[in-house]
Amino acid sequence: MMDMAGQENLLVRLRGILGTDGLLVDEAARQVYARDASHLTLGRPLAVALPATEAEAAAVLAACSEAGIPVVCRGTGTGLSGGAVPPEGAVVLATSRLDRIGPVVARANRVRCEPGVLNSRVTLHASAHGLHFAPDPSSQSTATIGGNIAENAGGPHCLRHGVTLQHLHGLQWCDARGRRLATGRHLPAERGFDLTSLLCGSEGTLGLVTAAELALVPDPAEVATLLAFFPVLDDATAAVVELLGAGLLPVAVEIVDQAMLLAVEEAFAFGFPTDVEAAMICEFAGSPEDVAEDGARAEALLTAGGARRVHLAADADERLELWKCRKKAFGAVGRLAPSYVTMDVVVPLAELPPLVRRIQAIKAMHGVEIATAFHAGDGNLHPGVHYDNRSEEDTRRAHAAADAIIRTALARGGSCTGEHGVGLEKIHVLPWQIDRETARLQQEIKMLFDPDNLLNPGKLLPPLESEFAGLPPVPRGVDFAWESLTVTAPAGTRLARIQTRARERGLWIPVGVFGDAPPGGMGGGGTVADLVNHLLPGPALLPGGSGRDFLLELWAATGDGRPFHCGAPVFKNVAGYDLTRALCGSAGRFVRPLAATFQLRPAPETAAMFRFETDFEAPGFEAGLAGLLSFLDRVASGTAGSSCILDQVTGTITVAIAGRDRDWDLGRWPGCLAGIWPDLELRQKRQVPFSRSSDLLTGDLLPAWVLNSPRWSFQAPLPGRGDETVAPAGKTRLIWQGKPRLWWVPDHESPAAGWHSEPFLATGEFSPLSEPDSAVPRDFLRGLKRIFDPRNELGGPDWLIGGRHGD
Amino acid sequence: MAIDPVPLNREVEDLLRRCVECGLCLPHCATWLGTGNEVNSPRGRLVLLRDLLNRPGNEAPQAYLEAFDLCIGCRACETACPSGVPFSLLERGQELAMARLERKPGRQAGVPGGEFLLRHLDSKSFLKTAGKAGGVARRVLAALAGNEWRKKLDSGPAGSLVRLLGTMPTAPGTDSELQLLLDRKCGRERHVCGNSAAVGAKAAKPPGDLEPRVAFFTGCANGGLLSATSRRLVELLTAAGCEVVLPTGQDCCGALASHTGRPGRAAALRRENQAAFAPYLTGRTRILVEAAGGGLEMKETSEEGLAARISDAVVLLAELDLPPLGEVPLRVAYHDPCHARHGQGIVAEPRQLLRRIPGLELVEPTEPEVCCGSGGAWGLTHPELSARLARRKAADLAATGADLVVTSNPGCLGQIADGLALEDPGLPILPLTDLLWYAWRCANGCAQENVAGSGR
Repeated sequence: MMDMAGQENLLVRLRGILGTDGLLVDEAARQVYARDASHLTLGRPLAVALPATEAEAAAVLAACSEAGIPVVCRGTGTGLSGGAVPPEGAVVLATSRLDRIGPVVARANRVRCEPGVLNSRVTLHASAHGLHFAPDPSSQSTATIGGNIAENAGGPHCLRHGVTLQHLHGLQWCDARGRRLATGRHLPAERGFDLTSLLCGSEGTLGLVTAAELALVPDPAEVATLLAFFPVLDDATAAVVELLGAGLLPVAVEIVDQAMLLAVEEAFAFGFPTDVEAAMICEFAGSPEDVAEDGARAEALLTAGGARRVHLAADADERLELWKCRKKAFGAVGRLAPSYVTMDVVVPLAELPPLVRRIQAIKAMHGVEIATAFHAGDGNLHPGVHYDNRSEEDTRRAHAAADAIIRTALARGGSCTGEHGVGLEKIHVLPWQIDRETARLQQEIKMLFDPDNLLNPGKLLPPLESEFAGLPPVPRGVDFAWESLTVTAPAGTRLARIQTRARERGLWIPVGVFGDAPPGGMGGGGTVADLVNHLLPGPALLPGGSGRDFLLELWAATGDGRPFHCGAPVFKNVAGYDLTRALCGSAGRFVRPLAATFQLRPAPETAAMFRFETDFEAPGFEAGLAGLLSFLDRVASGTAGSSCILDQVTGTITVAIAGRDRDWDLGRWPGCLAGIWPDLELRQKRQVPFSRSSDLLTGDLLPAWVLNSPRWSFQAPLPGRGDETVAPAGKTRLIWQGKPRLWWVPDHESPAAGWHSEPFLATGEFSPLSEPDSAVPRDFLRGLKRIFDPRNELGGPDWLIGGRHGD
Repeated sequence: MAIDPVPLNREVEDLLRRCVECGLCLPHCATWLGTGNEVNSPRGRLVLLRDLLNRPGNEAPQAYLEAFDLCIGCRACETACPSGVPFSLLERGQELAMARLERKPGRQAGVPGGEFLLRHLDSKSFLKTAGKAGGVARRVLAALAGNEWRKKLDSGPAGSLVRLLGTMPTAPGTDSELQLLLDRKCGRERHVCGNSAAVGAKAAKPPGDLEPRVAFFTGCANGGLLSATSRRLVELLTAAGCEVVLPTGQDCCGALASHTGRPGRAAALRRENQAAFAPYLTGRTRILVEAAGGGLEMKETSEEGLAARISDAVVLLAELDLPPLGEVPLRVAYHDPCHARHGQGIVAEPRQLLRRIPGLELVEPTEPEVCCGSGGAWGLTHPELSARLARRKAADLAATGADLVVTSNPGCLGQIADGLALEDPGLPILPLTDLLWYAWRCANGCAQENVAGSGR
């Protein structure tokens, strides 16, 4: 820590940057900003900075870095793990004035915003376009996008749509020294170390996000929300396993237990029965037919599973009312006890019922009160242990019970945190979960990005002296956990083998529809390692973004042969840096995969893909395209997905759909499609049952450049082979869509996109607000390469470590 | 102010424990939205209050008091709070900090002449005079600087005085002025109805139990500045079959006095009103209050017999079987006064009333629960933030694409009018009851009078 004069100098400098209005040093600010929603504190900050622009934020970071003063970035302080709590004498950088939001890029389903924008404002902003931002933590009315990214926030609807990371196209950010950087996902097919995955969930320890490019999800045509009451809690959890095992994929499945139900009832008097042990909200979304069918199946399953009453929300108002009950549950527990610890454990789905039973036992054993609300479909529980913080004994017992719950979850293959983050709260717990080598890698990454340990020090990273968990044995055979909907397999396992067996059960890893061979040139006939190393590009990206989104757990060895393990076989996990996702797609140049666990999802009934020639200049083309896209959006909001490539160079459109049989009832397709697809009728014959969809695989369907470009960049695309790229003719237009992503390259030279300019993303990548210093991420990528492969044994071309192809 | 610290602290401590610091109150708090500073949020203020209670000794930092002072008192946090933390805690925090700092209650005005204004804001006669003078001043400015005088003079040397004029609650002083404004908005070239007070169809035949006697509370701002609106409301109520009486001896509700640190005057006003309305506390008589702020103050501070009969004008109208309403083909946004929405839970009634008007399309702003930054005297004591919040609210209302904004509290009326003058000068704001009165007149079919020939 520095002396008084040094502090005074820093404050003078900060005041010069922010003005008196933007720098708070009074006692009230130092008291208020010492806290967040976690009830944990470390000390009082020296000052609070409220930058109003990215430049101010960068200057604050630079000034603090030079003065050697720690900086804690903060949104609205709704985090529950103490991530925004500053140590004594730190500068708190609050993003509340960085709250601009750009225009919605409707056809690309994107919007760009600053970190202080509230989560719910994004959806409000996009609602006129029939879009929304899917991650919806219970705090969404208050929580900021910056905080969501820092914690990789989840929420009920992440069951179907994925967590925050899966809704990021790119980030603009500042490092510890205030250097402005951009990292984008040009495409899911981008290969290399994924900095976006690393930054998302890093809890403010690696940098400050100053703008984000968010993916928006189309609003579903129809939503059905079921409310079921279970006299027996165990029946409710078992019903969730049953429901998902039956191939149903609700957008959300939530449970609140009796204690929580009582608190909510007392607070808001919804009129729910309080003599039941559990209430469940189960929501389906998609086309009216799908929703009706799924809703009816779910209702039957829940009733058979012991639900006393299943009620379908009559309209949107009632649906919102039901969700209000769930989303206000956290606040309502303030009525139950003076204080409480809210946990955030997550377990494989099949372990949900036993864990919930175990929590009841722990409750009795430790003599504590526990109320639980949980994202049941994700296996993510929020047990809240209540206690009176005025009593030492009470406090001790509550924390002992909390630790017991976490140990139970870990013993069942879970993770200590699915959404809330490690922060301050779970830093003593994390070593129970991760192995020493992983901890060391994380520590080295932190040192690379923030060598002076100034960004949010004391969070997320446990000291290396801790006693860490052992490395879990590397799996030697394929292990399907059918009830948990995961599959674990050694790196050499052929994907075809996994997919074939999964399909027998109506499940699949949602990649590689059109044949299980990986893209040409990657060899080996398609193995688990290929999927980890390369992602699967192409229209195979149904329905999510890429294989990265379904990779849950990874065993790998560093270049110099040290094995480590990251992730867990659970659907949500924010215990430490997300190395699993960050390494996915790194082309085998950073680590050697040893084994991996993937998520299984219900397989589509039917899949098909067409390529057809069309006249891009024809009258009716624009209308036809709009119709096609809106139709594909609808399909994508169901269980399956769709994608579409427009290639003006070859004059072709490629459409792929995996969905239900009735999605191929062309009578339901919009009539305006005739404008681009006059012989629509003929194509119907290409439909095949999903189990035989590999018959459709004809390598030439995919333009070779999609498969073989080492790294897509719209600035230097396209037709070519291998590492060669040939600049396209001036007219390339391209749309690529897999839920919820879509890229579009206009055929004209793109102007630099500002906040309120171009409706289309000009360059196909995240357009920075200001010119970043592009050399810096390259330094970081080279540093990462040195951490994972210090002797360069895994090799790799320059573009992998930061050089753009063709640089 | 005498404060017995022990019981106060225990009660406050127990209530404070309910706050789980979840932060769900933040986006509903106008002062947080306006400053981005969490000290100016309900959660922040409660953190300070907790610290005050735990502090050794009897001290309080000045910055703490400023944080409590900045609270507008809109109570949006109380509505938003899932844990049921009462708004009164924030008031207690202010009292405690003031007691510790040995500060007398009362606020510093932030505009020239503001101290005088603060003392006389609740005098009907002063407001009548000020309203007339203000009206003249506004017309002079309009003549000198054009219709958008407010916008042009905003950054000028006398900006704060110009804002004071801009925020003065006004409504059309004559019926023909109101009709002219709305006829134009509706695209009507001529009056579709007359302007004689005698005109107006009565409700068919109100059932016996829906025919209350209404004792009209005029209030200082309504009585002083918006008397034409009050008169039109009486006409409408009469047409709806109500017997309207105007008890003599009534005065201001006392809210402004207590907000400006004059509890003695507030108590005196309460006594006067109690005496004035005492003869009317019989049968099914309702005491009607036009201003949301006045209604809340009287409900909370009057004796039970009186308080139970108090009804907001909008609530009473929503219960009545109104005479037929004519078509008003406008997009209308309603602004909820905080003391109606959060203070009295009045949310559905104004919307139901507006939906009764044929042809009217009701549009909702994105932040209906957020305060406009008027806050009675608060706007005078915090002019800069108040102006920022007015513009924010006006921009939100303008973004609805509305042709007209209506509200039901004089403070909000002036504040939003001022914000709109800067953000969207073409978008007018009126008292809700004036719009209703116009719709009633439109139904009359007494069409033939020409605009040019009527009125002044």
